[in-house]
Amino acid sequence: MKLPMIASVIAMRWFSVVALRLPLINSPVMLVIAVSLVVGLLMVLVFRAVSDQKAIRAAKDQLKAHLLAVRLFQDQLTVVMQSYGRILRGTARYIRLAFKPLLLVILPITLLIVQLDRYLGWMPLQHAQPFLVRVRAVSPDALNEVSLELPREMALSAPAVHLPADSEVVWRVVAEINGTYNINVAAAGETFSKQVVVSQDLARISPTRRRDRFWERLFTSGEPALPTNGPIQSIEVAYPPRNIDLVIFESNWIIVFFVLSILAGFVFKSILGIEI
Amino acid sequence: MKWPIAPAVRKPGLLNLVPVLVVAIGLVLLFPVRSEAYAGPGAGFAVLSSFWTLFVAFLYSVYAFLTWPFRHVLRLLRRRKAYGKAQVTRAIILGFDGMDPELADRFMQEGKLSHLAKLRDQGTFLPLRTTCPAISPVAWSTFQTGVNPGKHNIYDFLARDLSSYLPFLSSAQIRGPKRRLRIGEYSVPLGKPEIKGLRRGTPFWHWLGKAGIFCSVIRVPVTFPPEKFPGVLLSGMCVPDLKGSQGTFCFCTTRGAGDKFREGGVRIPIERHGSVFRSYIPGPEDPLATNSGSGLRVDFELRADLRRNQARIEVDSQKFTLKIREYSEWIPVKFKAGLGFTARGICRFYVKQLSPEVEVYVTPVNIDPGRPDLPISHPVTYSIYLAKLFGPYATLGLAEDTWALNEEVLDDQAFLAQCYANHEDRERMLFDALDKTPQGLCVCVFDTTDRVQHMFWRYLEDDHPAARKVPRDQRPSVIEDLYRRMDDLIGRVMDQIDDKTLLLAVSDHGFKSFTRCVNLNAWLHQNGYLALNSGKSESGDWFQDVDWSRTLAYTMGLNGLYLNLKGREREGIVEPGPESETLKNELRTKLNGLVDPASGGIGITGVFDCDAVFAGPYVDNAPDLIVGYGAGFRASWDSVTGRVTTQLFEDNTKAWSGDHCIDPRLVPGVLFCNRKIAEEKPAIVDVAPTILKLFGLGLPTYFDGKPWTVAPEPSK
Repeated sequence: MKLPMIASVIAMRWFSVVALRLPLINSPVMLVIAVSLVVGLLMVLVFRAVSDQKAIRAAKDQLKAHLLAVRLFQDQLTVVMQSYGRILRGTARYIRLAFKPLLLVILPITLLIVQLDRYLGWMPLQHAQPFLVRVRAVSPDALNEVSLELPREMALSAPAVHLPADSEVVWRVVAEINGTYNINVAAAGETFSKQVVVSQDLARISPTRRRDRFWERLFTSGEPALPTNGPIQSIEVAYPPRNIDLVIFESNWIIVFFVLSILAGFVFKSILGIEI
Repeated sequence: MKWPIAPAVRKPGLLNLVPVLVVAIGLVLLFPVRSEAYAGPGAGFAVLSSFWTLFVAFLYSVYAFLTWPFRHVLRLLRRRKAYGKAQVTRAIILGFDGMDPELADRFMQEGKLSHLAKLRDQGTFLPLRTTCPAISPVAWSTFQTGVNPGKHNIYDFLARDLSSYLPFLSSAQIRGPKRRLRIGEYSVPLGKPEIKGLRRGTPFWHWLGKAGIFCSVIRVPVTFPPEKFPGVLLSGMCVPDLKGSQGTFCFCTTRGAGDKFREGGVRIPIERHGSVFRSYIPGPEDPLATNSGSGLRVDFELRADLRRNQARIEVDSQKFTLKIREYSEWIPVKFKAGLGFTARGICRFYVKQLSPEVEVYVTPVNIDPGRPDLPISHPVTYSIYLAKLFGPYATLGLAEDTWALNEEVLDDQAFLAQCYANHEDRERMLFDALDKTPQGLCVCVFDTTDRVQHMFWRYLEDDHPAARKVPRDQRPSVIEDLYRRMDDLIGRVMDQIDDKTLLLAVSDHGFKSFTRCVNLNAWLHQNGYLALNSGKSESGDWFQDVDWSRTLAYTMGLNGLYLNLKGREREGIVEPGPESETLKNELRTKLNGLVDPASGGIGITGVFDCDAVFAGPYVDNAPDLIVGYGAGFRASWDSVTGRVTTQLFEDNTKAWSGDHCIDPRLVPGVLFCNRKIAEEKPAIVDVAPTILKLFGLGLPTYFDGKPWTVAPEPSK
């Protein structure tokens, strides 16, 4: 268990501390490509470390044999049907063998991707560009006590809109200057802050701050949880989602990462002689 | 006997944490948000790999389904001729190379072969007349083509080059590409090697295939290079190793250089570097070399662990541990030549000892069946299919390393382990072929019977010169055990067949003891038919120091005797016609009944004139006379390699102690069948016409064999 965890921790540190400092990798496209290559390599290394390579090789060989049998004995329908049945059984066996190492690989990779999604999932806000701040209270009654306190570099561009049906209040805000700010939401005598990033560069972004829902927070928030017994359920800043521009098309970074990392994995597994 | 393979390496217990991770990942998946994409590349690999397999399988299946009706109709039209008159829907022929009728009968009488006895009682058991000469490539060529050697052109393992008196393999020729491109230090071959089969005639499964009857043919000798036909075939005896030889083992040792091996092996030094021993496996010639003789090699390292009696071997980035006297699994090796040229093979390692000397035996490097550099099957994918299904297997024609046992590089036990490992692979192939051939023909030849009898006949006799070192009470019953194993195999096959299936178990020849060697070249020399250069009383191999200008006759190979014929041999002096006929008659008269003064036995019981024995377009390639040695005798090891010695008769002290290359009348094969066969003296040449007739096909007019009358149903 140590190896994959250590590898993923090192990878995360590398990305957050080293890679993002490099000027070339400050470009989202280059970052996705670099991440995909490194993750593809790590994936196959980890897969090799935690899988039964011999059994996987045997399962794949059996599958190939049954495929060849379909071709070699194609005039004999019963043989073809038997081979097809064996292919199905062999595929199930292969998936079973690949599943265990897959489980071990998914967790660190998931954590890594969560971290990367902070940088690549959304774009920072632009100065002079209005954005919404949405606060959800625990009940509609609490909405009247909620207020927004902005730093000097930000201003409201429209009055607050109360949505009692959803227990929400929404403000439209605009930032004057690039920077990382904290906006404060006051309610029931308490103040809750939320980070807002206004920048032209790649930056770590947390679109929401919320209480409870550990797993949802894990995937969407990069900030500490709101108090469990407080009046505020969540504070969201509507960052625009980021698409990766690949010249011929645009796509969410995760799709690009998914495809590239698989391709990288297949290349590295061939070079390193790893059975997947 | 179990093959002692290296223990599988266990993975550490990482997977014990799997349940915890399953729960953790389950929780992640319960709260998806963006996590559906977080399955990440791992899932992608698994999905893609398995999906791709399923996708290809699906495409194949669709193709098979859609085209099946058309193919079925076509097949029915073609088969109508065959199955319309067929007496059987399936024929299974098990070839047991060298199974001897006398031994089989004796063991059956003793109640040791119950399944063969059942075949005898319910069907047929007869001696099967072999070919002249009684040599495997000759007999199996006749078996498959239904003709005498004069029509299939195989008279021995070796044939001679008339211009040089040197031997070449009689069954196939492999030549490098004709054109090459010189680039700097490299000579790049343009094109593929040329592989030419020298066996002529048409195997009977070609006729069956043409009639729409599917055939699975496994390891029948002299089927290399594989020929196209509608069926599957894995080539057998005569498939070369990666060096192009018929099997060159490698013996790596720290001992100082000793005598060279006479047959089939090379001695390679092991060098010590601290705690590491380094050596190499010699491979094929460098295809890019501008001059011949520069061979490729694969280096390996060995670290001895004397405390545990084992060694860690690293070759081609593969590492494995072997106990002393243990074989490795098949290890893939790559011989790299440069410019991306690579020859791939497989071999097994065997650590003979680690102290006081380090000695490692490496099997001949076999062609890798999963990635064959030369075609060893038809279609090419058939060998790959078998490799994927069962793992790597021996592809060399003579896969059991008899030379290594002869040279005492391997001991009895190690040799047997090798034989039976190959045999088990062959059994797996047979049963898969039976599974894949519900209708049609399935032929599989097992070589183990031949190799084990060759090497262990010495233990059958009280006073065999090759067994004198072993006390009588310590001699193992290897051959009896061999026959029991074959009987068990027959039993398992019988369990799988129905009444419409014909089961034949045949052998190409029988066996006799080989206690005394006859150097026929010595006899020819002593009797004035072969002359040596002045001052010489012996010759080297392949007639070194023979004075051809005064030589009338010579012998090489196992049974052939050749006249030095004018206009045929480069330096021939015997005039064709009356002179050669007279010489032949003279030699026949003098040699027939040649007595061994030491034992009093008759060394030669028959000398056959090839003009009388063979008929066909390739008779000119035949020897002039075939020498039939008496029981207990055979051509000497020196005589086979064209060496003239002073001694005419000598003891055979090699482990190779049984043989069949003698008077063919003394070594018939066996014929077992699950049906009655009304034939008094069946011959191996009759098998092909019999099978064609049973499947309702007409017989080619050139066949020499006659079909047997086979009962339509098995007796109950």
